[in-house]
Amino acid sequence: MKLTRRALGIALAAATATTIAAPAISQSATQGLSSESVIETIKQDGVIRIGLSLFVPWSMRDKNGDLIGFELDVGRQLAEDMGVEVEFVPTSWDGIIPALVAGNFDAIISGMSITAQRNLTVNFTNPYAYSGLAILANKSMTEGMSLEDYNSADVTFAARRGATPAVVIAKHFPDATLLLFDEDGAATQEVLNGNAHASMAAQPTPNREAGRNPETLHVPFANLYDPRGEAFAIRKGDPDALNFFNNWIAQQWRSGWLEERHNYWFNTEEWAGEVAQ
Amino acid sequence: MRSFIRKLRWPDYLILVLLITFFGYIWYSIGGTLNYKWRWELIPGYIVGWHSGREEYFANLLLQGLTATIRISIYAGILALILGIILGVARCSPNLTVRMLARTYLEFLRNIPPVVVVFIFFFFLSQQLIDALNLARWSRGIARQDDILLWQIFFGDMRRFPSLISGVIVLALFESAFVGEIVRAGIQSIPRGQREAARSIGMSHFQELRYVVLPQALKKVVPPMANQFITLIKDSSIISLISVQELTFKTVELVASSRMIFEAWITTAAFYFIVCFGLSRVFARLEREKKTDI
Repeated sequence: MKLTRRALGIALAAATATTIAAPAISQSATQGLSSESVIETIKQDGVIRIGLSLFVPWSMRDKNGDLIGFELDVGRQLAEDMGVEVEFVPTSWDGIIPALVAGNFDAIISGMSITAQRNLTVNFTNPYAYSGLAILANKSMTEGMSLEDYNSADVTFAARRGATPAVVIAKHFPDATLLLFDEDGAATQEVLNGNAHASMAAQPTPNREAGRNPETLHVPFANLYDPRGEAFAIRKGDPDALNFFNNWIAQQWRSGWLEERHNYWFNTEEWAGEVAQ
Repeated sequence: MRSFIRKLRWPDYLILVLLITFFGYIWYSIGGTLNYKWRWELIPGYIVGWHSGREEYFANLLLQGLTATIRISIYAGILALILGIILGVARCSPNLTVRMLARTYLEFLRNIPPVVVVFIFFFFLSQQLIDALNLARWSRGIARQDDILLWQIFFGDMRRFPSLISGVIVLALFESAFVGEIVRAGIQSIPRGQREAARSIGMSHFQELRYVVLPQALKKVVPPMANQFITLIKDSSIISLISVQELTFKTVELVASSRMIFEAWITTAAFYFIVCFGLSRVFARLEREKKTDI
């Protein structure tokens, strides 16, 4: 009895020792791996894994339950140019950066704008898209007006209380009258009804509203306010991947492909039939 | 049904009328303030849809999510049962160290919110396990093969296999604590005399558990265990936070894509209700039949 108990004790100790040692071995292996670039892993596995969170029109599910959107075009083209398969990993937005850091996927391509806070945790490539606020105006009321004409006491802006557009309007058009509402829909409705000349919202919302009501609304100026760049996010400490993605993005800018795709998803409504909207 | 109506007295009718007025008023005030375009007609297409490319009917987002939830619940239920029995036995062990370890594990899980437990287990345990076993590469290898129908029936999309496994592990570990408590209660409900009788005919501790205590204990704990399984199905919605592609996660995706906030969530709630309520009826019937057997 005593002997078996001792033997059991030794066996238990051995088992504990191996379980403690095993992660140590795998940890040194992961350290070895992380010194290599994610590009190597992608080539080796023949697949690039892209994390994304759904946000219209960046990425969304169509009526067939398949993923479509600007990100999907970018991801598929990227994989094609690398000569590998692409795997999209839908992830909830709250956990997308921890999931990238934990290695669930190789890059985040999900309309993530570059902010200083995020950049402390992950690396960003050069932007592959730019977004910002745009003016949505009533067509008949603002006929032939230049940008300077909007900054007058006769012009009324509608915006949501407390949101960025209200601040931006107050800064850029200090002389204009500003009507504040509790929600974006009401602000747009005021412009539609002709109670306000214009409103301001993050693209592509103004373009889509203008597309929905082409006879009353339009987006008069292409320039964006409070612009931000969206970029791929990758794990820190990987200069090879950063170099590769930056060069790919630069090439796609130069060839005009990014702009064309962005235009298709953000400025047209051609894809609207594919999604239940 | 008729006898049920005849049993009603005037206070019952009064309560009924008050309830209907109350809910009617709420419904009316929502309709007044909520400028919402209901699009119920689109929901059936997201359960079973007509694929415009393949020209055939297919299980769309919501049904995919439901099958994933059922799959995960079954696997996690089995795993939780195994872990729970070990934990329950350990809780009644004569060895103090084993008892303390089991107790620590249990108290740790019982006194931390499920969401926190899910994140801890995911990043520190199941993620490490999947990396160590290289499951991602293995499952991708299978996904690339041609004839994988059997794999798909059991595990769904093989490319999402690691996330399914981490969901199952996380859920099973979380529920095992409660299953363990149920098993412990079952073991302790077996009269002391039974154990002493087993010992007196020369059975070892293991034999005593295997042949005398556990068969009786497990039979006794079937009703609370069934209840725990239903809880597990509902708790499975938490693992959508770690992006396991189950019903809740798919609903979030549907809402993000189509903005059918209320329709999608009400449908999902109905799915959970049908599954859980259906199961509780089945379990109740099984229990009744078992009683008539004895």
